[in-house]
Amino acid sequence: MLSYVGRRVLYSIPVILVASFLTFAFVRATFDPTAKLRQSRTAASAIREERQHLGLNEPLVEQYGTWLGRFVRGDWGTSERTHEAVSAQIGRALWNTTQLIVWSVLLSAMAAVAIGVYSALRQYSVLDYTFTGLSFLGLALPAFWFGLIAIEFLAVGPKQWFHLSQPPLFFVGLHSTSGGVVDYLRHLVLPVLTLTVGIVAGWSRFQRASMLDIMSSDYIRTARAKGVPRRRVVLRHGLRNALVPLVTVMALDIGALFGGLIITEKIFSVPGMGKLFFDSLLAGDATTLTAWLVVTAAFIVAFNLLADLAYSWLDPRVRVA
Amino acid sequence: MNAPRWLRGAVAVALGGVCASLVVTPSLADPGRSAPRASTGGQIVIGAEQEPDCADWIDACAGESWGLWTMQEETMPRVFDVVRRDGRWVYSPSILMAASPSLSTVNGAQVVTYQINPQAVWSDGVPITSADFAYTWDQVAHGADIFDRTGYDQIASVNDTDPHTAVVTFSTPFAGWHQLFGADYGVFPSHILAGHDRDDAMKDGYSWSGGPFKIQAWDKGIDVILVPNPRYWGPKPRSSSVTFKFLTDTAAEFQAFQGGEVDAIYPAPEPEAVDAVKAGLTDADSVVNTDTGNIEALWMNNAAFPFDSVAVRQAVAYAIDRNAIVRLLFGSLGVTTATNSLNPPILAPYSDQQAFAGYHLDLAKVTQLMTSDGWQKSGGIWQKGGRPAAFSIQSTAGDKRRELTEQVLQAQLHQAGFAVTIQNTDANTLFGTVLPAGTFQMGLYAEVVTDLDPGLCTVLCSQNIPGPANGNSGENWTRTSIPTLDPLLETVDTNTNDAARVNASKAADRIIAAQQVTLPLDPLPNLAIWSKRIHGVDGDNPVYAMFWNLSQWQVH
Amino acid sequence: MRPRDGTPIPEPEPIGPSHLLPPADVGFATAGGVTSRSPWELFRRRFRRHRLALVSLGVLIGLCIVCFGAPFFAPYARDHQDLTLGAVGPSWHHWFGTDELGRDELTRLLYAGQISLEIGLAVAALSTLVGVVIGAIAGFVGKATDQMLMRVTDLFLVLPALAVLALALEKFGHDSFTIIWVLAALFWMYVARVVRAQVLVIREQEFVEAARASGATGPWIVVRHVLPNCVGPIVVNATLAVAAAIVAESSLSFLGFGVQLPATSWGRMISDAEGYVGTSHAYLLYFPGLAILLTVLAVNFLGDGLRDAFDPTSEPA
Repeated sequence: MLSYVGRRVLYSIPVILVASFLTFAFVRATFDPTAKLRQSRTAASAIREERQHLGLNEPLVEQYGTWLGRFVRGDWGTSERTHEAVSAQIGRALWNTTQLIVWSVLLSAMAAVAIGVYSALRQYSVLDYTFTGLSFLGLALPAFWFGLIAIEFLAVGPKQWFHLSQPPLFFVGLHSTSGGVVDYLRHLVLPVLTLTVGIVAGWSRFQRASMLDIMSSDYIRTARAKGVPRRRVVLRHGLRNALVPLVTVMALDIGALFGGLIITEKIFSVPGMGKLFFDSLLAGDATTLTAWLVVTAAFIVAFNLLADLAYSWLDPRVRVA
Repeated sequence: MNAPRWLRGAVAVALGGVCASLVVTPSLADPGRSAPRASTGGQIVIGAEQEPDCADWIDACAGESWGLWTMQEETMPRVFDVVRRDGRWVYSPSILMAASPSLSTVNGAQVVTYQINPQAVWSDGVPITSADFAYTWDQVAHGADIFDRTGYDQIASVNDTDPHTAVVTFSTPFAGWHQLFGADYGVFPSHILAGHDRDDAMKDGYSWSGGPFKIQAWDKGIDVILVPNPRYWGPKPRSSSVTFKFLTDTAAEFQAFQGGEVDAIYPAPEPEAVDAVKAGLTDADSVVNTDTGNIEALWMNNAAFPFDSVAVRQAVAYAIDRNAIVRLLFGSLGVTTATNSLNPPILAPYSDQQAFAGYHLDLAKVTQLMTSDGWQKSGGIWQKGGRPAAFSIQSTAGDKRRELTEQVLQAQLHQAGFAVTIQNTDANTLFGTVLPAGTFQMGLYAEVVTDLDPGLCTVLCSQNIPGPANGNSGENWTRTSIPTLDPLLETVDTNTNDAARVNASKAADRIIAAQQVTLPLDPLPNLAIWSKRIHGVDGDNPVYAMFWNLSQWQVH
Repeated sequence: MRPRDGTPIPEPEPIGPSHLLPPADVGFATAGGVTSRSPWELFRRRFRRHRLALVSLGVLIGLCIVCFGAPFFAPYARDHQDLTLGAVGPSWHHWFGTDELGRDELTRLLYAGQISLEIGLAVAALSTLVGVVIGAIAGFVGKATDQMLMRVTDLFLVLPALAVLALALEKFGHDSFTIIWVLAALFWMYVARVVRAQVLVIREQEFVEAARASGATGPWIVVRHVLPNCVGPIVVNATLAVAAAIVAESSLSFLGFGVQLPATSWGRMISDAEGYVGTSHAYLLYFPGLAILLTVLAVNFLGDGLRDAFDPTSEPA
């Protein structure tokens, strides 16, 4: 087991390194880190200094080496957009994105498991068809469109129809100046709902399929034949085994979420990773973009790793292999 | 629904878990974020369209209007206010001054003397003195990465022997001296900053202040909270706090106001905001100001085909129904005619506001100008020497108003025989790369003036064409080069005699119009919208926006 | 899909183009694919699926006809402006209303559909073609090339897709041609893996060796023996890629990386109407979103039907 973990971790390192080099090269080729300076009126000397600092006159590989050395030591550079340490920016953004991810994943997992198990046990029931139809709808809904429609009908609309002084749900940021739990929840509902719809649709179908698969397997039949109570069979043997594939898929999806909320965060003005990327992209903030891409790639790699490990831990057959 | 009881139980437990976990959220909700409880006047929340990149106002990272509006004007002392008097905007000595700053000539050099109000103090109680003026000048003129040194680099010395009198001596005459220690920069506290890294101390916000408010917290990406500065020597703020919430998505900003999340917004006049004002806002007031420092124009690259020909530039001006565009965009705000000068409305005293009035839709004139310039129509499009009169318009992507403008222009110009494509990019690429490099034909964007001094030389004098001489940092992106225009615009910049400036500036306007260097469209009206629960809002200011009297606002 | 029998997974496996984009944002997550047992159930299920798939196919063909036949079907001329009319809601003259420039929204929707569908179809075709070629090469040439391909695939999978797409469009410009090849560049890998796996199986078999001995070339073997054996996953994947590409394009449009005006796509139309949430012009937001929803739904049903039809385990029914 340990050597398996070790091999997987070792394999991840070159992937991250190569990805970071490609990222670095591509961002360098796309953006001129001194473009922002050119908008100020006394640019010439400042541009020269900046080129010197970033080593823009050196060959690309050397630039990458310098950058990597600093990056590994925690010096992620200074944002060209805000003059702030990139690590601080990313740390702050990660915190906000993590809040969205935690709530969305928690809710989605519970809903998906409940729906998946129900649908599998009551296959072809009215509710099963309803859930299947809804999941197809959920998979086909463009998330940003759903977000806007949700704002229209759940926030701005009710306020106008019922002449409220405030909308029932907020859609800007994660909290108001006044703060408080209720305020936080009112901010959280819409972005989390927008995220959850797509995730639940995918996961619940997956859970339904794997549950069906398990429930029709021989050992479940054997257990039932031996007279084990249905409830015990479903929970102890069925659900437990059916969760294994879902957990791996969840891990893969969660890893992708850290760099994948660009649109949701834009719609709901949440200052997370997605919004940081978007703002940095528009400002041509090369230093932030490079670090951002490497960090999000690291999250994906880490969660892929986690998915593998979870799979091998939960499913004893893999350990033997 | 006959789910087994245990399954229903499981769902109930799951939902219970959600509720329970939601109750534990306060630990997540970032403690210490809540603003102080209202004492009097209440808490005001304002939507800000852009988040300033930094709060070091003289650094290259600053220079955005929203920096001035959200933090700078509330915390930095300045020498002049901009006020409306007899129907026009003029400079007026601020509360920092004991007397009006005086201009004189000593030994042939321009000298400006500032008498500082003895009551003026920083938020730590230390008086604001001439040493602060000297420090500010030194930082702007000699610091690194400065946004704009104009004027400060013409100062020879600042005499601070008398703490209450700053005597500024210029090495070369600077006509726009009113803007120094003013709107964009202000005066910096030497006793706090001297000997430290100014940029480091200020860029993420600072706790000291020389204005009515001080910055309590700047939560990047979210909001900045201002609270009253107890040591302010002027009228005390009536509200207990003002929060500028950053709503960088214009659409979201407007939704947030409609949804009641913010009490006031100061949006760029985008169609959705204009529509809402037209439709009548519920529980809200609004004001539209057309007397602004903005000029939205079609900037033509005078060095690139086809606008390297005066006749083509003029023909294009006759091919466009500018009034129709202005009516489409702002008709419901009562703005129906195009602007006819490259100097914005607040500079009316210095400009011929009718210079471009002769250019209106006239297709016969287009034909006459184009044929006399050697063009022939083929397939509905003008051609000369095998090259069609085809060009692209570039603007900032995602700006609804500009994208509509471009599409109307495209249709109008096509009627007149010009093939137009639209090629928008993000603002950073446009202003940082495309325009300086001159790889454009026509650009649609606004020039914004933040003082009351004309200064078209920066964008129209031939020595400011980006090139090796100015380290490629010149801002004459249209590559305008008219020998008779340069001296006039230089006079405007350097002559301290106002009458001479007025004459030169008006003459320049007429030359610019005759050569049709670039075509002004509209003054980009300022739009201020606020909820009826806010009292004390008193119209718009072309420089300090609707926030010029923020200290007098209060929640009803 | 995760293997049903629990075989070990040495490395993260790509799960088709849909999985290259973050599930939440793009609204297109992992779809379950495990089929069930009993023949009677199977039959019922397949029947239902196929009927839906048939209807979906009809809807898609219909959409293509009205969109690509827009000059014929559209009630108004393309980009015809009526500035004095401005934006008015749905009426008898303008079924879906008009936009700010007085352009008929239905007409605009049809022409926008041309671009959305064109991007979807082109990306699917291009990525499938590239995937087949690269997969076949990797399978035949073996070791080094094979390793290289797998490593490149891994690399693409660790970068956040939407961010990389936006970055690429920022660099290469955003006309529909660029959008197509940038999307295709991220979508080919799944097909490549499927084809490669099939080649690895097939090339060891006797009849292939016999064919080789009698002078058959690699490409011929691929066309004659490999493709027929993996046509199922390829077709299903290509179908789903249409939807994924349409959604990806609309997401990019929403971020400001859409096609240049006055051309527009469904995504771009939503993006342009974003500010009208909660105003009387909100109708501008509804129709393009519904168009995307309808298209993606139809494509997914079709793909689902195809998957069932191609699934060898469901062959007897």
